[in-house]
Amino acid sequence: MLDRKKLARLALVAIAFISADTWIYSSLRGAFRSIMSDTRFKEITLFAKTAPRDAAAQADWIKGAADLLAGSRSVYLAVEASGELAVAAGDQNLAALLRTDAEQPDFKKGIDSVRYLEPFVSTKEYSLASGPGASGSGRIYFAPVPDDSGADIRGALVIFSAASETDRFDGLLLGLAVVALVIFLAIYSVLAFSRDPAMGFAILGLFAIVAAFVAYPLFEALRLTFVVKGAFSLGIWKEILTPRYLEALWGSVRLGLWTATTSTLVGFAFAFLVERSSARGKKFISTMATLPVISPPFSLTLSIILLFGNNGLISRQLLGLSHFTIYGLNGLVIVQTIGMFPIAFMTLSSVLRAIDSTVEDAALDLGASRLRTFLTITLPLAMPGVLSAWLLVFTNSLADFANPLLLSGSYRVLSTEAYMEVTGRNNLGGGAALSLLLLLPTLTAFFAQRYWITRKSYVTVTGKPSTRLTELASRPVLIGLLAFVGFCVVFIVALYGTIVAGCFVKNWGIDYSFTLSNIPEALSRGWKAIVDTVTLAAIATPIAGLLAMTAALVVVRATFFGKRLLEALIMTPFAVPGTLIGIAYILAFNKPPILLVGTAAIIVLNYVVRELPVGLETGAASLRQIDPAIEEAARDLGADTPTVFRTIVLPLIRPAFISSMSYTFVRSMTAVSAIIFLISARWYHLTVQIYNFSELLRFGWASVLATTLIIIVLAAFGLMRLLVRDEGLTEKTISQ
Amino acid sequence: MSQNSVSVTVRDVTKRFKNTKGREDIFAVRNSDFVVAPGELVTLLGPSGCGKTTTLRMIAGFELPSSGRILIGEEDVTLLPPNLRDTATVFQSYGLFPHMNVADNVAYGLRVRKLPRAEIETKVRAALGLVGLSELADRAPGRLSGGQQQRVALARSLVIEPKVLLLDEPLSNLDALLREQMRIEIRRIQKSLGITAVYVTHDRVEAMSLSDRVVVMKDGIIRQIGVPSAIYSEPDSCFVAGFVGKVAFFPVRVESAGEGGSANCTLSGKAIRAGSAAAGLKGGDEATLMARPESLRLADAGEGAVDGRVTANVYLGSSVECFVGTDYGEILVQIDDLSASRLHAEGAAVSIAFDEERVRLLPTRAD
Ligand SMILES: Nc1ncnc2c1ncn2[C@@H]1O[C@H](COP(=O)(O)OP(=O)(O)OP(=O)(O)O)[C@@H](O)[C@H]1O
Ligand SMILES: [Mg+2]
Repeated sequence: MLDRKKLARLALVAIAFISADTWIYSSLRGAFRSIMSDTRFKEITLFAKTAPRDAAAQADWIKGAADLLAGSRSVYLAVEASGELAVAAGDQNLAALLRTDAEQPDFKKGIDSVRYLEPFVSTKEYSLASGPGASGSGRIYFAPVPDDSGADIRGALVIFSAASETDRFDGLLLGLAVVALVIFLAIYSVLAFSRDPAMGFAILGLFAIVAAFVAYPLFEALRLTFVVKGAFSLGIWKEILTPRYLEALWGSVRLGLWTATTSTLVGFAFAFLVERSSARGKKFISTMATLPVISPPFSLTLSIILLFGNNGLISRQLLGLSHFTIYGLNGLVIVQTIGMFPIAFMTLSSVLRAIDSTVEDAALDLGASRLRTFLTITLPLAMPGVLSAWLLVFTNSLADFANPLLLSGSYRVLSTEAYMEVTGRNNLGGGAALSLLLLLPTLTAFFAQRYWITRKSYVTVTGKPSTRLTELASRPVLIGLLAFVGFCVVFIVALYGTIVAGCFVKNWGIDYSFTLSNIPEALSRGWKAIVDTVTLAAIATPIAGLLAMTAALVVVRATFFGKRLLEALIMTPFAVPGTLIGIAYILAFNKPPILLVGTAAIIVLNYVVRELPVGLETGAASLRQIDPAIEEAARDLGADTPTVFRTIVLPLIRPAFISSMSYTFVRSMTAVSAIIFLISARWYHLTVQIYNFSELLRFGWASVLATTLIIIVLAAFGLMRLLVRDEGLTEKTISQ
Repeated sequence: MSQNSVSVTVRDVTKRFKNTKGREDIFAVRNSDFVVAPGELVTLLGPSGCGKTTTLRMIAGFELPSSGRILIGEEDVTLLPPNLRDTATVFQSYGLFPHMNVADNVAYGLRVRKLPRAEIETKVRAALGLVGLSELADRAPGRLSGGQQQRVALARSLVIEPKVLLLDEPLSNLDALLREQMRIEIRRIQKSLGITAVYVTHDRVEAMSLSDRVVVMKDGIIRQIGVPSAIYSEPDSCFVAGFVGKVAFFPVRVESAGEGGSANCTLSGKAIRAGSAAAGLKGGDEATLMARPESLRLADAGEGAVDGRVTANVYLGSSVECFVGTDYGEILVQIDDLSASRLHAEGAAVSIAFDEERVRLLPTRAD
């Protein structure tokens, strides 16, 4: 493939492009420089003319020059009786420089020009000793101050202007030139060397997306924690690694430990009942155990507050408790457990399903008691799954933002501390550092789960689930389990019921009379948020879906250098807490070259990038089931890669495509941890509106919006079910 | 169509798979060099993993040769992607599109070429007629039998009128009877369309009965190319002899080259004349004498060249396979004429005689 002719041509084209690129760059830079100095000359000359004659007033006047050019320093030279120009007022350091370097050709020329009433700018750059105002190097401007006749001077204005501004533009221009070169060469090489340019461009495009919207912001976030006022400093980390914040780290970890443990226990109870017992109503139980996974943020917290808060229905009205508080660790563990045990349930039930129950039968047959069978067979076999579930919940709990925001009280966790740091103290660097701190336990758990536990799994997928069911629980155990699960189910139903009830109550906690007025009120106040949220989610959904399926095709079918890196970068947002991503995005995209803060684009991009990992996994799993010969046959019959993708791949992985889109939609509708940093007056988000209403103690309005959100989410899932229902037939024949 | 048949040239092609995880690279194909003449059907035959599929996939464009060129007609297509080549492949697993019915499967290549609708319809109907599937046009491929799926795959490849048809073990999923029928069918269609074809198989009967010429491969290396009868009766190596049919080997010493390619040798001191000999053998060499079961006869003990005892008689209907335990291992003798030949009871002492015109001398090599 890499034949000489092509390489030679590439070299030629590259040289041609580089010269063109350099020429455009340098002429643009030259043009910009001359425009800049022209306007500067004009401004300075005009300012110079306003110089007061009164020596006392000159000191004040010269200070005004600093407003003319941000961060500049200046001196006023007056013509003395001898005809010499001498410093009359202004910055000491600049004056010193003029004096010591008076013999510099630059300075001599400057003074000469001024005498001929011509302004002048130094050809070289000079640096000034540090002092007030600008530091670093810059150019020195000389402007004449003409006398009344206008034919001679009475003084001169000398201004030192730091080069930073022009430099920044130069830097930007240089960056653009380099980027143009890279893009051009990448596209040219793909066209010249790849036998499948479409695939080549897909790979390049994915790399560009993850580089710009995953790697770059995270790198910026990390970099800026080491920068204070434009210089390298460990100040931020010194401040973060103090007891106050380490306590929050420990708070996050402690909460994670508790939630992971309780969620795994609850999830195991549900999974055991569904997969290893003959209890009836399994379908209902497993629906109830998966439902909370799609509950919007704040909704469960909201109903917990409505029931057990300071003015809660149960805590205050029914039990009359006055010193009880739900705020803090206990409340958080309860809400997180309800919200996250479904993760454990889903993991554990698939693990239990995969364990061949004939193994348990064999143990029972050999005379082991049920308990013994459970302890020596079932549990050890399920152990990797249990650990995996525990770690998954642990990561989720650490990253959780919405629940602690409303319910933490005086208990401190990192995700909300980072938020407070950014919004309350306007300390972006500190917020970034805090959320980076959160990355430590999160990534540890993530990698442990992904690469260690999954490898230890003993579960052998036989492909034929045994239909026979071993009754592994004795009657009292079964009844106990049923009672526990029943209690949980009732609790979950009660929580959802409370949200709905909250819509119709006048003033929760004080006045429980029925009202319908919350609904129009909340909908009209929240209307913009609803429209914004649905619009942005609807825009992100097809983009994320298509991108995810493209990525799946690339990852499963293409072989290229850097594939693992691409995969890792795409997967990164899955392991990184939303708070960090949100902070990283505002840090990276509030300045050139990619200025996006406040736009809809930044929110959509955030959705897309964050939901890409799950979409990719779904699509890849589905694609791996498909015989590659099917795609090869299509290609062999004359279809190019885009056609194969459109007519073969996409229809075949339609279920994955649709489910990843509905997942993206729902997750975007219920996003909060990253989005809360990215919303603006122009683009708002429903979940943040719910939070705001809750903070204002407008629980009725918050309930209405939460209910609306739940309805939208359920509708989206219903629609997906409908679309994917008749896929069974296709799926069965795909792998022939 | 037969007028514009093209040749396929595989010129000194090597395919090397870079192996990750520190293992050695795999040479799936080494310096492969052969030409398929226009309208010819050539079979790539060899044991599993010998590089047949890899060779085929390089002709189709799915793999890029590490070195060497591939030509279709006069055109060098080495770098051309599969969708731009005039080849059509019938895959071992068929690769039918499960979300399209039979007619849509067959129409796919034509739709990609943006042919007018009416033309597509006639061509699809004709192609389905050719493979005898006209009634099943509306079926989903998942609801067809293996043989029917195979025909759909064939029709789908033929309908785009490719210059080269590539078949990768297309019959391996079928039962023996269907296999035979389809073999004849494929051969008939290929001949009538005058299409150039490369056929991959590890089934020697298939290769022998189907092809104009056979390319025998082993470990990525071409061992012999020739018409089926030559491959069968005049192999160049023990490997080829053994791979394409049942054979018995005897260690001999070459005495002298005889007339017309024949040679004289000694087997444990007994002089034997071999009707043919592989090139390069000279007097004094250690060599191997190969004998097909049908070129051996049973004689009374002491009368033939090799003595032994009958260990088993297997009746095959029209013939009997008689296994004889000898000093050179168990030798298979095929007895066709049941009436004339005397059958020997199991355990009987017999002697094996050579049909000297039909035995052949081969170089002894450890393969
Ligand atoms: N993509 C690949 N990467 C690495 N090695 C490969 C790859 N494809 C094939 N090989 C190796 O190349 C060799 C030849 O493979 P090939 O598929 O051509 O064999 P084959 O003759 O078709 O065998 P079979 O009759 O079993 O289909 C094998 O050793 C195989 O393991
Ligand atoms: Mg093969």
